[in-house]
Amino acid sequence: MDAFNNLMYGFGIALEPINILYVFVGVFAGTIIGMLPGLGPISALALMIPITFAMDPSSGLILMAGVYYGAIFGGSTSSILLNAPGVAGTVATSFDGYPMAKQGLAGKALAIAAYASFVGGTISIVFLMMVAPLLSKVAVSFGPAEYFALMVLGLTAVVSLSDKSLVKGLIAAVIGVMISIIGIDLQTGTVRYAFGTAHLLDGIDFLVVALGIFALAEVFYILLRGGGGKEQPRNVIGSLKLSRGEVKEIAGPIGRSSVLGFFTGVLPGAGATIGSFLGYSMEKRLAKDGDTFGKGNIKGVAAPEAANNAACTGSFVPLLTLGVPGSGTTAVLLGALLVMGVTPGPAMLVDRPDVFWGVIASMYIGNIFLLVLNLPLIPFIARILDMPRPLLLSLILIFCMIGVYGMSFSVFDLFLLLGFGLLGLGMRLFGFPAAPLILALILGGIMEESMRRALQISGGDWSTFIDKPISLTLLIIAGLSLTLPLVKKVVVRVRATS
Amino acid sequence: MTRLNTNQWLALVIALFSMGYLVMAYQIPSFPLPRPVDSDLFPKVLGFVLLGLALLLFLEQPKARDVPQPSDVDEQAIPLLLRPWSRVVVTSLAIAVYAAILVSIGFVVASTLLSFGLTWYYGYRRHVVNLAVSLGVVLALYLTMTKVMNVYLPTGILPI
Repeated sequence: MDAFNNLMYGFGIALEPINILYVFVGVFAGTIIGMLPGLGPISALALMIPITFAMDPSSGLILMAGVYYGAIFGGSTSSILLNAPGVAGTVATSFDGYPMAKQGLAGKALAIAAYASFVGGTISIVFLMMVAPLLSKVAVSFGPAEYFALMVLGLTAVVSLSDKSLVKGLIAAVIGVMISIIGIDLQTGTVRYAFGTAHLLDGIDFLVVALGIFALAEVFYILLRGGGGKEQPRNVIGSLKLSRGEVKEIAGPIGRSSVLGFFTGVLPGAGATIGSFLGYSMEKRLAKDGDTFGKGNIKGVAAPEAANNAACTGSFVPLLTLGVPGSGTTAVLLGALLVMGVTPGPAMLVDRPDVFWGVIASMYIGNIFLLVLNLPLIPFIARILDMPRPLLLSLILIFCMIGVYGMSFSVFDLFLLLGFGLLGLGMRLFGFPAAPLILALILGGIMEESMRRALQISGGDWSTFIDKPISLTLLIIAGLSLTLPLVKKVVVRVRATS
Repeated sequence: MTRLNTNQWLALVIALFSMGYLVMAYQIPSFPLPRPVDSDLFPKVLGFVLLGLALLLFLEQPKARDVPQPSDVDEQAIPLLLRPWSRVVVTSLAIAVYAAILVSIGFVVASTLLSFGLTWYYGYRRHVVNLAVSLGVVLALYLTMTKVMNVYLPTGILPI
């Protein structure tokens, strides 16, 4: 009953006309940005942050949450129509979505993606409502040692689950933490790594890094690959209607993948990409016609789409209840919240119930928007894919500039943006994952503070991190998440040689 | 002497960086009152961890994904200024120039010039459409930021 009352309170906030407008704008903008190949939810969120500066935190998060799941949904459109996923979480959708489009069934695939996203999103919000308050009750007992261990786990999980080199992921994470400690140390007043310039005394804002590493680096990368090349011919969309038999066929996969996706999203480091692949492979294994997966099977579109939207909602659990983001995308969301003056964590349910329940209620509305607005509008929205690439690249640059300058009013930050853009390009070219860097950048400051507070409480005794059972368990899991892939590699090599 | 592979080159650069970082970490002044953890500890830990990771990277065999893939474009067939790397360099220079002149000539003029100029440079030849879209988007952003969100953007040579 409590949850119901809280949800009603949340709806009271989410149904304010201005917040309904923000949900709409967020979902719509997210859909469009997510659709553009290369620009994922992180870029979408980073580009939208400047708009949320002056907003009330609940409205700001409502808009950002809309951008997030809108971007995941938008990514499926380019996956299906162009076989060029705008978002990593929709790669699995292209396996069957694109073959369907080639068979002239693009409209059907897009409709399935919309329905599956809606159901996946809605089911996972119910889970979010149930799980988040429980977890925040547990998290209230966390001290600085537990928080430090939790953040270490969050970082190692993101690194170990990345498809790139483990060592390079860790290097990216360490560099992210290094960037986070630039400026005045708030505990002692000591200046660190400011190179004598006053511009760096307050540190480097995460938005400069996020826009540089993701959006600007993506522009550079597209230029390097030939400026986007020739525009790809887009498949015709066709009818959006589904038969009763088809609805029946996808109902099971959508339900199962929604639950699976949610719990994958809750885990640190997992999220929409892994959720969608797990959903896809689970359905492929369960289906009687599993051999037709990859050739245009409708279940192959429904499962990953339900899973990625559910995972997207699931990833809000650690963010809202523990204040620890489990992915690069939620790290950017955390950064946005901090800019707005809200610190997510177990106390948020008590201190800022308007933000917590307002966002949850807005997700229901956002999912309805996704379905009702986007479904009939898809044929028109998809025309954005025909936008000339040179024009698009220039406009992304302008968005990056205004995002950075509008926040700091500092020309120095524009040069920093350029520097991070080139760093991001280098990372991309040499196989360094960018998500650990941005996550570490956001977590670095809090991590150092937790570590120092824990050591201050223990009088400098480092065993405090292993004396506490929760902290010890989290650190063991963090260690295992890094060492298991290595052990697996060694075992495979030994087996191969013997 | 065997040639170094990509990862080994990267490892050397990162090792040099981490050593420089450590040198600076050892120069961080101590807090006057004794504390269990001072400002220099975390940077020192980070520096040594990065150095260790550089060593591991040196020993790691690079995979195809770790080496920049050649572009599909036949670079020799296009003029130097339009080659992929030239585009990155010219775009970077354009951003640097934009940052340098933003305050003096104003957001609207500088941003429109940047957007129009780069779109033209990237090969889009419908100049009227280019100008209309560049100016339209920049003006819309400018008005939203200044009039709706009360964020100041430099006016420069324009009166408003």
